Amino acid sequence: MQGEVWEAQQEERLQRGPLGDREQPHSESLRLSAHPEADLLRGGRAGAGAMRLSAVLAAARLPPGYRHGTWPPDTAAARRRNPPGQRRRRVLVEPIDSEEWKVFQGDTVQVLSGKDAGKQAMVTQVVRARNWVVVEGLNTHYRYIGGTYIASEAPLLLSQITLVDPEDRKPTEVQWRYTEEGERVRVSLRSGRIIPVPLQPRRDGIVPEQWIDGPKDTSVEDAMQKTYVPSLKTFEEEIMDAMDIVETRRAKKSYWY
Amino acid sequence: MAAAAGMSALCRRLMGSLRLSGARPSLMAAGIPGLTPNLFLKSQAKVELLHQLKFLHTTLSRKGLEEFFDDPVNWGEKSVKSGDAWNIKQLRAKSSEDLHKLWYVLLKEKNMLLTLELESKRQLKPMPSPERLEKVEESMKNIDLVVREREIALRLLQTGHEKPVPGEWRHDFLGRTYWYSYKEWPIPWYLNKKYKKRKFYYLPHVERFIRLRLEQSLRTRARRQSLEKTKQKLLERKFPHLAIKSQSQ
Repeated sequence: MQGEVWEAQQEERLQRGPLGDREQPHSESLRLSAHPEADLLRGGRAGAGAMRLSAVLAAARLPPGYRHGTWPPDTAAARRRNPPGQRRRRVLVEPIDSEEWKVFQGDTVQVLSGKDAGKQAMVTQVVRARNWVVVEGLNTHYRYIGGTYIASEAPLLLSQITLVDPEDRKPTEVQWRYTEEGERVRVSLRSGRIIPVPLQPRRDGIVPEQWIDGPKDTSVEDAMQKTYVPSLKTFEEEIMDAMDIVETRRAKKSYWY
Repeated sequence: MAAAAGMSALCRRLMGSLRLSGARPSLMAAGIPGLTPNLFLKSQAKVELLHQLKFLHTTLSRKGLEEFFDDPVNWGEKSVKSGDAWNIKQLRAKSSEDLHKLWYVLLKEKNMLLTLELESKRQLKPMPSPERLEKVEESMKNIDLVVREREIALRLLQTGHEKPVPGEWRHDFLGRTYWYSYKEWPIPWYLNKKYKKRKFYYLPHVERFIRLRLEQSLRTRARRQSLEKTKQKLLERKFPHLAIKSQSQ
């Protein structure tokens, strides 16, 4: 009895259609613009295809309890210290907003506590994941490498460091503020002077001032030249006009659902 | 005689393949859709065959294949310097024609770099300057983005829709709600057997499982929130000034 009722209900649903109670929405052949031929040429421009393996690995997330060192995560030293599957006790790092970060590579800072307290030097490396700053020549310990002792700097926490006023050469508190032009700058609270952010070296090691264009590089004038004229034609239509392609085929009526 | 016949057959096949490879680029440049049928007629083959027999050579024609490799000056180098990738701001100022040409230039460069990558893997050597590939991919991605931006802007102006393909929220047979985007079919839905077999509704007995799924999601959300609270407590214990800051906020 119940089986029959259920079957009857099923029949009813099948008759109603795949959307059941709702009405099947239907739309005519879609057209982007007045030019009907453009639709036929669409669909060839997919993305850049599958990513390269190294790019995929670079985008891969680090494991949740990853302990950062002073080496970048994709170097051999980092892989040796953090093999996959290693789980170490977590280090608690004070959360600092990336916008609130004040110390950059190339800044002059003064060490407040530790072995070399009171000395000033330049920052050579910043490890944001652990709020570390490696200062040149300060807070060193000696390692025995290749028969001799080599001084290697230990990283300092942000709390053991202050930025130094460039003219006074005295330690100051620093805040991020906006100039009248709208530029975001670091301002020393004691004197009100602006501490400029030192030029950060690029990740690919290129120094823009010393760059000479290669044979495959586009010159600056050609790259900056504006050739775009806004029009109501789609990309495909403009290319067809430029290449004198005339599409005489008409698209057959298609259904979208 | 037999040798000559065999040689002539070989010539015909080789010339056929060479003509095909030679003819394709010119057709692409002219932009003529559809191929001219004359290329495959045998009579034409015979005429060219007699003409070509004098200059017979069996090496592969190198026409265009050298573009799969870098400038010979860079062969064997440990690193090749390359400039920056194309910026989106720079590409937005370029016309469609320029973008079209640039896309193919980048594509050929990408093919060259991929060939180089595969060959260095085969020879178990490091690829010189692999960042070039990333720059090329980034430039191509940016071109795609710019073209898509312009297309979306035009579509918004003309139709008011942002997405190229319309769709709607539908249920599946498990009661889940998902975005169904329309597909292009040659026949209306009431004649489409494949489409009619699909179920975009759920039967009443599924409601219990919908509730269970909801409970599961609420439970995971609650667990995530409590984990964040315990982490925050740990941080405040170690860094007391954070507790004061959060209290003042």
